[in-house]
Amino acid sequence: MVTPLEIIRKKRAEAVNRIVSKGYLSTIRVYVGMATCEIAAGSKEVMEVFRQAIANGLTDVYLSQKGCAGRCNLEPTVEVIEEGKIPVKYGRVTPEKAREIVERHLKKGEVITEWAI
Amino acid sequence: MAEEITISINTKEYKVASDQTIMQAADKLGFHIPRLCYHPKLSIEGACRVCIVQVEGMQNYVASCSYPISDGMKIHTNTQDLRRARRDIIELILDNHPLDCHTCERDANCELQRLAASMGIHARHFEGEKKHYEKDLSSDAVIRDPDKCILCGRCVRMCSEIQQVHNLTQAYRGFSTVVMPAYNMPMGESVCTACGQCINVCPTAAFLEKNYTQDLFEKLNDPDTVKVVQFAPSVRAAIGEAFGLAPGRNMEGELVASFRKLGFDYVFDTQFAADLTIMEEASEFLERFQNNGKLPMITSCSSAWMKCMEQFYPDLIDNISTCKSPMSMQGAITKSYFAKKIGVDPKKILSVAVMCCTAKKYEASRPELIVDGMRGVDIVVTTREIAWMIKSAGIDFLNIEHEEADHPLGMSSGAGAIFGATGGVMEAAIRTAYELYTGQTLVDIEIEDIRGLQGVKEGRLEIDGQEIRVAVAHGLGNANNLLETVRKDPTRYHFIEIMGCPGGCVGGGGQPYAQVNAIPLDDVALKKRAEALYDLDRSKTIRRSHENPDIQKLYKEFLQRPLSAVSHKYLHTHYKAKMPVGIVPKTERGSGV
Amino acid sequence: MEDVQYKMMLCDGVSCIHNQSKELQSAIESELDKSGIRDAVSIHLSGCLGMCNKGPILIVNPGYTIYGGVGSEDVPEIVQSHLVEGKPVARLVIEEDHLYNRFFRIFGDVDFFGKQMRITLRNCGVIDPENIDDYLSVRGYEALAKVLCDMTPEQVVAEVKKSGLRGRGGAGFPTGLKWGFTAAQKADEKYVICNADEGDPGAFMDRSAIEGDPHTVIEGIIIGGYAVGATKGIVYIRAEYPLAIKRLEKAIEDAREHGFLGKDILGTDFSFDVEIRLGAGAFVCGEETALIHSIEGARGMPRPRPPYPSVSGLFGKPTLINNVETWANIPVIILDGGEWLSSIGTETSKGTKVFALAGKVHNTGLVEVPMGTTLREIVYDIGGGIPNGKKFKAVQTGGPSGGCLPEEYLDTQIDYESLAKAGSIMGSGGMIVIDEESCMVSLARFFIEFTQDESCGKCTPCREGTKRMLEILTRIVEGKGKAGDIEKLERLGSMIKKSSLCGLGQSAPNPVLSTIKNFREEYEEHIEQKKCRAGQCVALLSYVVNDECVGCGACKRICPTGAIEGTRKEKHLILDEKCIRCGQCYDVCKFEAINKV
Repeated sequence: MVTPLEIIRKKRAEAVNRIVSKGYLSTIRVYVGMATCEIAAGSKEVMEVFRQAIANGLTDVYLSQKGCAGRCNLEPTVEVIEEGKIPVKYGRVTPEKAREIVERHLKKGEVITEWAI
Repeated sequence: MAEEITISINTKEYKVASDQTIMQAADKLGFHIPRLCYHPKLSIEGACRVCIVQVEGMQNYVASCSYPISDGMKIHTNTQDLRRARRDIIELILDNHPLDCHTCERDANCELQRLAASMGIHARHFEGEKKHYEKDLSSDAVIRDPDKCILCGRCVRMCSEIQQVHNLTQAYRGFSTVVMPAYNMPMGESVCTACGQCINVCPTAAFLEKNYTQDLFEKLNDPDTVKVVQFAPSVRAAIGEAFGLAPGRNMEGELVASFRKLGFDYVFDTQFAADLTIMEEASEFLERFQNNGKLPMITSCSSAWMKCMEQFYPDLIDNISTCKSPMSMQGAITKSYFAKKIGVDPKKILSVAVMCCTAKKYEASRPELIVDGMRGVDIVVTTREIAWMIKSAGIDFLNIEHEEADHPLGMSSGAGAIFGATGGVMEAAIRTAYELYTGQTLVDIEIEDIRGLQGVKEGRLEIDGQEIRVAVAHGLGNANNLLETVRKDPTRYHFIEIMGCPGGCVGGGGQPYAQVNAIPLDDVALKKRAEALYDLDRSKTIRRSHENPDIQKLYKEFLQRPLSAVSHKYLHTHYKAKMPVGIVPKTERGSGV
Repeated sequence: MEDVQYKMMLCDGVSCIHNQSKELQSAIESELDKSGIRDAVSIHLSGCLGMCNKGPILIVNPGYTIYGGVGSEDVPEIVQSHLVEGKPVARLVIEEDHLYNRFFRIFGDVDFFGKQMRITLRNCGVIDPENIDDYLSVRGYEALAKVLCDMTPEQVVAEVKKSGLRGRGGAGFPTGLKWGFTAAQKADEKYVICNADEGDPGAFMDRSAIEGDPHTVIEGIIIGGYAVGATKGIVYIRAEYPLAIKRLEKAIEDAREHGFLGKDILGTDFSFDVEIRLGAGAFVCGEETALIHSIEGARGMPRPRPPYPSVSGLFGKPTLINNVETWANIPVIILDGGEWLSSIGTETSKGTKVFALAGKVHNTGLVEVPMGTTLREIVYDIGGGIPNGKKFKAVQTGGPSGGCLPEEYLDTQIDYESLAKAGSIMGSGGMIVIDEESCMVSLARFFIEFTQDESCGKCTPCREGTKRMLEILTRIVEGKGKAGDIEKLERLGSMIKKSSLCGLGQSAPNPVLSTIKNFREEYEEHIEQKKCRAGQCVALLSYVVNDECVGCGACKRICPTGAIEGTRKEKHLILDEKCIRCGQCYDVCKFEAINKV
């Protein structure tokens, strides 16, 4: 008989596979905070900028939403995680800033330090 | 079986049964903890916080009405801090209550007044804004004055728990909280059955009957009308309490004499019409029983029950006896048979009913009861109202010489008297039905199975080898429980008596307020009132309705026989389903209506 | 990135101190001096990191490298290899073995997160809350599987008891006891309820937890159902949280699809399902008996306890009711062990607590700290102190029914007893920082206005008493206070606290009583001198022209009531009796020539 723990291990393996197949192992992962507070601060529009960028041909980037990390005064927040590098977290991101992050950080690998938390 | 534990109250130790609240234990030990929202027949509300006590080891005070005792518990009921907290709580209630005691209907008969006096509130520290809501005068029977309401929630619990009508609830929040029917419907348009039990349990004057005393005083002075009064059995069994007597005294003689002193030309007795009701109802039952008519037949004497039935049990309309209530029969006969007999235009007759009931005010206005363009009863006043009128007119009620009611509508059998107690109608009907069916006189006429305060009572008897199963319920909540059984098992009973009020008419919504230190609707008081009626029955030679010579005469001279066409015109009525706004009848729930 | 500064965190928990973490600190400091990189590295002390068995613990950020069992002799190697050459010392790195740890690796936002310990929020801001795969990939539903595999309901209850977890809704009742009581009841039906009726103004812990990681809560609820023998769970959440509701609905659906909810969960004979009930936004419905009435379809009013819901709750059946945060602890307790959780925190309060930090503080936000963290650490280390150079005045914990604690209580530890002793409460997690520009009387008035408005109106002390307190406070801030008003507030306040039916009333006077206790002189000034030192009470304010006035006339032109007189180029005058204190003159003056007094 299969035990619940065995089931859950199998499910986890499948889940990880599904995440990977969606591009999780891309060089860059971008997370946009999407809780009520972040959405109120404008994160939907920010998300849209990244979505558009990917739709317009930006590759090797995994985009996902996440919940609130708790940095209320700095919302909306965007995290950029690059394999092997220190994760960068941007605060108070606007669509304009997001476009620059796409251009400078995602495309050219330049960390925009003045916006990082 | 509860074990015996030791508690201490005010530093003294006592051995008590464990399965009690602090209040219950204290009551038995002679400590009367002040209380307000508590009522022994209702669920525990814990709202007023007057009954708080100090329990050692607990940070906050606890409400003694709800908190269970435990072994070794050390309770203080009367510390200085506690007294001050209680005093402040009562002051807070007073601060949001109109300061019009001297013009209030319940002046000198108000639980809040008595409580405030016992707390010694002689100064106000916290006065400020008072809430204000308009009075709701829309109902013919029960009026609502939210300004007087102290939100103890007794009426809400009475209406939903005992009566299961669920008309009243708290609305809004905080300081704006108010008790009202759902959706702020006016009482007159709500599902209120007008039973008046909210009035009985209200500690102040937030609910009152619609008062007709001034109107009546005025009409009693009209020389051009013939003033006729009838009074219900239960009025005589309870009115003594309004004059300070212990419950259970029959004040029939005093009442009749007082009515004459008030200016009534004829004093009749609703018990006469009770006998008449039995003639019709017993016949109707036998008719249904013998001819495969709709059974079980359910009595129709209680006007609150009538309104309740039309709203919530329209599926049972065919089961309801078509007989009018005794009050309405009496009214109809007064304005027909009696008017003819004394040669007076019935339009010149002022027909007054003194009732233990508030719903009778509503019943009197029912259009279905109009005969020849006239209401049978013009004015209904409650026991409380007539007691006030007697006092106001300066009649020495307690020492007055007893008098007897007038003929031809004033004499009754013992069966008519017991109408006022739950089970009484059924008992009276059986006495007559048995004889009408078998031609033999029932000897054992006191039917103990259906007496007393049990919520739903069952009885069975044999008539000519056939078993007749009967059931009796008092209070609309018990009625609801019984009728749910009937809906599931329609052949279980043949005949059912339902009274809208707890204890039957003796516990009516128009009866005198509870006396000082007494609990409204206390079972002991209800039993004593009922006992007064059973005593009256036993004191009579004639104890079966059909043996009442005035009844026999009435049939001979006017009605011909029970269920005749004349009877139908004057003594029977009909019902229709009523769907109040916002309420969907039970039978239609689920079908998406 | 050569210019990155390293931030080191040294565990300052009791057990690590015992393992000579102090010595370690001085060793590191001297080694840094030796290497000449002292300025490039900062050292922080953190609360207990929950890895006591491997202490002393040293964490190097960015990167979140955890070193365990570090001795003074290891320091030179760490400094040289890791801090100078950028190569972590592999032999000392320990594997994180607890659920919560993954958080820091991603953020490295050391100032804000350094003192935090994220257990219940471990996945918030990390995973995609709308994707069950994300949750599964971080050991999601493993606790449930473990419980169904290896543990009897009794063992689950015992584990929760062992953890020392206490109710996070505010009252702090031991969770394990509650579970035990409910489990012990014999009944044909039992219920499990998640209280997500978060009502404190400014509090959003529960909302964030559900929006960020709904599956954790659901997993906790299912485990609770298994432990007490319930088959049905209800999440009571306020309708004002549409996103949280949406994510919860999705999570429930996904969980059902994966067989974590419904019949025969994960192939066992345990069946359980969860449904959502929406609250209409009444504050009092956060009180468990009122909440239960609300679910039953009745008016949301509390009733006296006992009987407690664990004996007679929803529809009269034994009911286990816990707050969102409490539920979110459960999977952690199961996977990491109750003993582990109980290693974090203080004597009486175990684990972590989430706070919604707000008010006059640099970093507002959601923080989760181990019990035992001091208020000062939260306000200054995590919150970054008071902005604009203003002075700290008080911190208010516990939402609208908490107390205001002044400077001298800043070193109070966060735990149920210490906060109560200081005159406040833990509450559900609101924390508001107040600076010198806030008037404590107005603040107290604001909170009592809220509780008065939200009182259900059932019991006399809360319904009538808070109204009278509000009236008295209103007249004080309007300059109409009378001698004796403070005493009346105290008298009413203590009566309401001791006599009210439910927690709402019992705690409603707290803001007033605590401000009277700690800031009595402000009350007295308002009443006796008609003065508000914070300049917040408009009625007590006067506008006066000072000698900086050049007579430009700007104030005169803008004054809506003509209360300002003066000829051009001469000092103007404000007529106090005509002034309506609108403040327009103050704003328009370019010369700072108008004072508020």
